[in-house]
Amino acid sequence: MAFVSRIRRQTDYNTYPSSIPIVIDNGASYFRIGWAGETEPRVVFRNIVQRPRHKATGETVTIVGDLDPAMMKYFDCTRSGPRTPFDSNVVYQFEIMEYILDFAFDRLGANGSGIDHPILITECACNPVQSRSKMAELLFETYGVPAVAFGVDAAFSYKYNQLHGICKKDGIVLCPGFTTTHAIPFVDGEPIYKGSCRTNIGGYHVTDYLKQLLSLKYPFHSSRFTWEKAEDLKLEHCYIAPDYTSEIRLFQEGTKEAEEKTRYWQLPWIPPPTEVLPSEEELARKAAIREKQGQRLRDMAEAKRLSKINEIDNQLTSLHFLLKQVDQVEEDDIPTFLSDTGYASRQELESTITKVTQSLRKARGEPKNEPAESEENTDSLNNEKYPLMNVPDDILTPEQLKDKRRQMFLKTTAEGRLRARQKRNEEELEKEKRNQLEEERRRENPESYLEEMQAQYKEVLERVEQKKRLKTNGSSNWNNKSGGVGRGERLSAAHRERMRLLTTAAFDRGKGEDTFGTKDEDWQLYKLMSKDNDDDDEQPDSDEAELARLSSRLQEIDPTFVQKVEGESSQTSGEVPRVRLLTEEDYKIVIGIERFRCPEILFHPNLIGIDQVGLDEMAGTSIRRLLHDEKEIEERLTSSILMTGGCSLLPGMKERLECGIRMIRPCGSPIDVVRAMDPVLDAWRGASAFAANLNFLGNAFTKTDYYEKGEDWLRKYQIRYNYL
Amino acid sequence: MERELMEADIVVASRLSFKKKQAYEKYPKAQSSSRRWKHLKQILQAENFPDLPPDLPTYVNIESPPSTQPCKRLCDITGYEAPYVDPRTNLRYANAHVFQTVRSLSSDQVHQYLSIRNAAVVLK
Repeated sequence: MAFVSRIRRQTDYNTYPSSIPIVIDNGASYFRIGWAGETEPRVVFRNIVQRPRHKATGETVTIVGDLDPAMMKYFDCTRSGPRTPFDSNVVYQFEIMEYILDFAFDRLGANGSGIDHPILITECACNPVQSRSKMAELLFETYGVPAVAFGVDAAFSYKYNQLHGICKKDGIVLCPGFTTTHAIPFVDGEPIYKGSCRTNIGGYHVTDYLKQLLSLKYPFHSSRFTWEKAEDLKLEHCYIAPDYTSEIRLFQEGTKEAEEKTRYWQLPWIPPPTEVLPSEEELARKAAIREKQGQRLRDMAEAKRLSKINEIDNQLTSLHFLLKQVDQVEEDDIPTFLSDTGYASRQELESTITKVTQSLRKARGEPKNEPAESEENTDSLNNEKYPLMNVPDDILTPEQLKDKRRQMFLKTTAEGRLRARQKRNEEELEKEKRNQLEEERRRENPESYLEEMQAQYKEVLERVEQKKRLKTNGSSNWNNKSGGVGRGERLSAAHRERMRLLTTAAFDRGKGEDTFGTKDEDWQLYKLMSKDNDDDDEQPDSDEAELARLSSRLQEIDPTFVQKVEGESSQTSGEVPRVRLLTEEDYKIVIGIERFRCPEILFHPNLIGIDQVGLDEMAGTSIRRLLHDEKEIEERLTSSILMTGGCSLLPGMKERLECGIRMIRPCGSPIDVVRAMDPVLDAWRGASAFAANLNFLGNAFTKTDYYEKGEDWLRKYQIRYNYL
Repeated sequence: MERELMEADIVVASRLSFKKKQAYEKYPKAQSSSRRWKHLKQILQAENFPDLPPDLPTYVNIESPPSTQPCKRLCDITGYEAPYVDPRTNLRYANAHVFQTVRSLSSDQVHQYLSIRNAAVVLK
């Protein structure tokens, strides 16, 4: 039975004389209203109100009951969620109650001024008097009702079933409702509230539990699990296991019965378009195209190179020609001659020539004789560039002195560069030699070489990790709940040192004035204290470099070597989240054990954290609270147990209740659990039958009664159910 | 109002003939409704229960006692019987396979699982 709403406006309001009472079943889930004496309520809707804003006009409107999603596009629902007038099972928000009553009376067809019929409305058991009085006030003041009566829905349901012979005069009614569950004993046809008990668990909690479990199990689809969807699932699939432990054992062992009991919900899923593998021809064609392109590029590069070589060649020939010309010309005429060409002196010309020849050789790809060349160059240039070098200081003018200093500087840098180059060459040669040696050793004795390498690697790894451990103070390796400052941190040497520095810094300057910072050395303290400074050690670098070299070497020669990534070696993490393509499987929601795990909370509320008795024990509690002496009453009570209320529609509840109650009663006592004829509507029907009775007005109170008699009387007000 | 909406007739009219005082008169929008009405806790506090005769059944009186049966320990994730508890997160689990899942949960999920059971530690 999914959400059922009947909200068509009734047209026969005026045909009813004003003595006929209106019957309202004000439940936390549904609101039912109708005429006394009938078997079906006229108007039924969910007891929620929404006040969204109309998008076009901007005014706030009120919508009662379930929403039609098609109509929602006209409204802006961001600031209004569904609100209910109930807090647990007590009405506390009468503004919302008023909207609901407005809607209800309107749909019943009310017109004219005021509701002119007495009203019978249901409330929870032992309703606080404040709530009761506010409700009465609302009905009297705003709607002009002549008389009001309050009753308990579970009691009406019991009386109705008693009328039809389903249960007896003495018995217990168990009513798992939407937010609460009640157990009320009946003696001689009247409910004894002293013996009743209420647990704050109901259908709402079952649905909520299901929703949370599914959201946690499938976090990817959590947006799909709305409360309404969970309610649908609950109504369709949930059942109560006759014995929870044996049922979960079935599922744990994966038996066939468990398989049959599992339900699958397939979410819509579109598989991604599969890429068609290119065929052989395609591949060949593509390869050929790529080859052609490569060839073309190579040709272009070649052509460019040739042209460049040509150019340089030309330049070289022209320079040579110029040189020859300069040789022929007289010494003194050189500057004038060369001023046209842009070269200042013969030396410059010659140096340009050498440079150009060098570049030509490079372009042609011939091996460089650079070191020798440059050496020659520097040698020859030495004497020319630094003419002042060898001249002693005292005969030079200040300008020339400056020049000389500049030349010295240039010379030293040039020499430095030369030295560096030499060193590099030497190192390279050395490395080559070493590699050669290694290769030889490897070829001689592969096995032992490998072992040696691996041992070395392990050693270096250990060292590096040790250092790392010291740096992070070991907290990553141990089980530390607090993360940051754990035991490791406090004990490490580095940390102790830091603390010492901090305290001395605070102390030493504390006498009188705080003079920290006046001296520059003070700020060095921060450098020492900073954790980051630890990273600047030279040592780890060499170790790490060694490690890198070894690991690369090992990777080359050893097929089974797996490089250990730092940090992972000592931790065994849980399942590594693998990124894989989502398949159809992922979109299938499996509802197996949740089917009976969720309604289980009705019997064991401490699964949710609510520390109260469950349904089966409530019967026992209720009997215990009655405080009687006769054994017989107990037997009469247990032989007529009525289940009513929405949650009692769950399959398997009857058997479970029987088992449960049998456990707490003495062996052999009669136990008879029956379900109401219609657990959902029976409360309204019972109320309707009650109101149709001629004695009804004797049980109701009028407006004058309400104002004269005061709160105390209202608290004690109870209707008498035995109208027969 | 759009025509479709008027035909669907889901909105409550703001002026109803049978009401003596209309809703918009009663509740000017200024005040937030939740602060106007007392919640259940406050209603119960105002009820003045100690003054009443002790054997009168009241809303608070008829509340159920805690259960006397031993508490069922179920696995938080699968729902099977759970003889073990993870010391790090306080979640109950049924076997080693589930344990791996427990260890791979994010702290958000752990908190949610615990709050289902009302066992989450909320630091404020």
